[in-house]
Amino acid sequence: MMSRLKSLGPWAMLLPAVAVLAVVIGWPLINLIIMSTQEYGRAQVFGAPAPFVGLDNFAYVLQDDKFWAVFNRSVVFAAVNVFLTMVLGTLTALAMFQMSKGFRYLTQAGLLVAWAMPQLTAVIVWGWMFNTEYGVVNYSLTEFFGLDYLGHSWFAEPLSFFAVATIIITWQSVPFVAFTIYAGLTQIPNEVREAAMLDGASAVQRFRNLTIPYLRPVFAIVITLQIIWDLRVFTQIYALQGLGGLREETSTLGVYIYNVSLGGGDYGMGGAISLIMVVLMSALSFYYVRRTIKEAE
Amino acid sequence: MRKGLLATFAASALVLTGCAAGETTPEATSTTSSSNDSTTEVVTGDIRVWVNGGDTPQAARDYLVATFEEQNPGSTLTIEQQDWGGLVEKLTTTMSGNDSPDVVEIGNTWAPGFTSALAFTDLTPHYEDLGGADLLPGFVDVGSYDGAFYAAPYYSGARLVFYSKADYAAAGISVPTTLEEYVSNAEALRAATGNSGVYFPGKDWYNALPYIWENGGDVAVNSGGSWDAQLSSAASLKGLELVKRAMDTSLAAKDGDEAESWVAYCTGKHSMLSAPSWAGGLLVPREDAPCERSADDLGVFALPGMDGGAAQVFAGGSNIAIPKNSSNQELALSALKIMLSPEYQTIMGNNGLVPALTSLGSTLGEGDVPSAVAAAAANAKLTPASPNWADVEAAGILQDLFVKIATGEDIATAAASADEAIEEILNK
Repeated sequence: MMSRLKSLGPWAMLLPAVAVLAVVIGWPLINLIIMSTQEYGRAQVFGAPAPFVGLDNFAYVLQDDKFWAVFNRSVVFAAVNVFLTMVLGTLTALAMFQMSKGFRYLTQAGLLVAWAMPQLTAVIVWGWMFNTEYGVVNYSLTEFFGLDYLGHSWFAEPLSFFAVATIIITWQSVPFVAFTIYAGLTQIPNEVREAAMLDGASAVQRFRNLTIPYLRPVFAIVITLQIIWDLRVFTQIYALQGLGGLREETSTLGVYIYNVSLGGGDYGMGGAISLIMVVLMSALSFYYVRRTIKEAE
Repeated sequence: MRKGLLATFAASALVLTGCAAGETTPEATSTTSSSNDSTTEVVTGDIRVWVNGGDTPQAARDYLVATFEEQNPGSTLTIEQQDWGGLVEKLTTTMSGNDSPDVVEIGNTWAPGFTSALAFTDLTPHYEDLGGADLLPGFVDVGSYDGAFYAAPYYSGARLVFYSKADYAAAGISVPTTLEEYVSNAEALRAATGNSGVYFPGKDWYNALPYIWENGGDVAVNSGGSWDAQLSSAASLKGLELVKRAMDTSLAAKDGDEAESWVAYCTGKHSMLSAPSWAGGLLVPREDAPCERSADDLGVFALPGMDGGAAQVFAGGSNIAIPKNSSNQELALSALKIMLSPEYQTIMGNNGLVPALTSLGSTLGEGDVPSAVAAAAANAKLTPASPNWADVEAAGILQDLFVKIATGEDIATAAASADEAIEEILNK
């Protein structure tokens, strides 16, 4: 009897968390699934009955060129951002590990400020620096480098639009990666590191054969989180579109869902795209986490 | 065990971040009224009125708050100013929830999108009280759906061309009488002063429409129940070529928008500016804002048409309505009545806005601006009258088109792809 109760204990403790998750996450998800099978427009938002259309919304989305253009754009954009963030974040962490205490605190303070800045504020500050008429970037390039960048629109070309977006997003993501990996680095036993150094292992060898294996789970989680964050990026892109650029050629999945649902008033279609995105991200992340953990074992 | 823990952490992190993807806007905290308190006889509450951009003058806002609180003791009225950009989306989300504002201002071209969705309270019984036949007829039309009256006219604003007299003298030109001459003036101004001939940011589609209309083109026409977009028609393309010529004289950002264009004009780097009539007061030095241009230097005219006279300009303006989900219907109606009262509308007229009550046309006063407003308003034109038009605006199709034109993409190709996108939405 006693042991039975004991085995129930953990489950009882999980219950509040599960209940909260079910309400906060489960309920909207169920609503989303229902909505994605309906013709749900602005009239339905204000109370009209929503006709059931089965999988029509999904069929339409999956054959829509516009969706695939957005999809491919998002995947490429996320890949570039995850790669840059991971490389810069890891390098920063390794550098922090070698720094003297004072410099490390200074670096950490700087990283924290970038990380703590609200996304919208960051976009507005960076947006001003790249402003066509008054931006410091155009001014500096023209004044100090002798290039003709007066009145240059950074957002008009999709490629340079995404370059600016990448700078903003990477700048704000690096601190999290750097802190997490730095924390991981401090957990590698000193004896092992010393032994490797005595054996004459170079810095690159130590990184490949010591740091990576030890930090594999940390890398797995950080990369997965970055993939999710960068795939569903919304604030930065949406706010940048307000500053300039072509909406049609710069929308990523998150912004596209917003435009279809709220802008275009087609919630059914928006719901279908959201579900496709949820499935995609879950598949991607679970595959990656499972593979990495298996390798570690 | 450690691996297991790690996996749990990973999984829960995924669940949490993945699901945070649903964007929720934090609701502004608002105190709910005691309006459903049946024991009190007088309905009291705190209502919220949304006005958009800087269009509504401060004097009108002050008058509204003071009058409302005097007429409804114990109740308060808060004006919440919204940005025009992204407002269709914001209105849709907010008005469908239980924290809806009580009175909203909507761009007149969006009105059919919301009235057809039955987002507003039916105002038909109050039509006479609110002004009846005296209300601006075109705005009553867009605010009505299926024979019922949902969104009342608020004001109409014509777009006028403001210019620097000194720059005109420097270029040795005079006020244009045709659209062609207007564009060649812009080119002459650019050459003579180095300033923008006309300030024309790429996203400013409102100011680009007259070029299309004056050349016999249109955005879309309804033939046999389905919409046929016309931007790539020969006539429209002629207009777009002219837009391109005007844009080429502009120093404005090729992908910028027209918001706060008066700030740009005040830098003194732009010789002409096409802006809503009420912007005139912002183009001169003010107490709180310096300006490189002086009041004596400021000239104004109505955009000329192809064959002289005033061009067909975009009939901008707003409607006001009470969201169906507002929890203070009676108080909202009381505020709406104040906003359509002759006193309130006179303040609007005195500030260069065409009042919602046609009998108050004279409140615009005498002088250059009022006569230009009258000329422009008499020949104003609207976007396609489809409930889906609001979606075209929200999708930014016209903005994208004119940014492409400004940056030098092929006009015919850009127009054709805009046509395709517009037809897809209007015929949805």
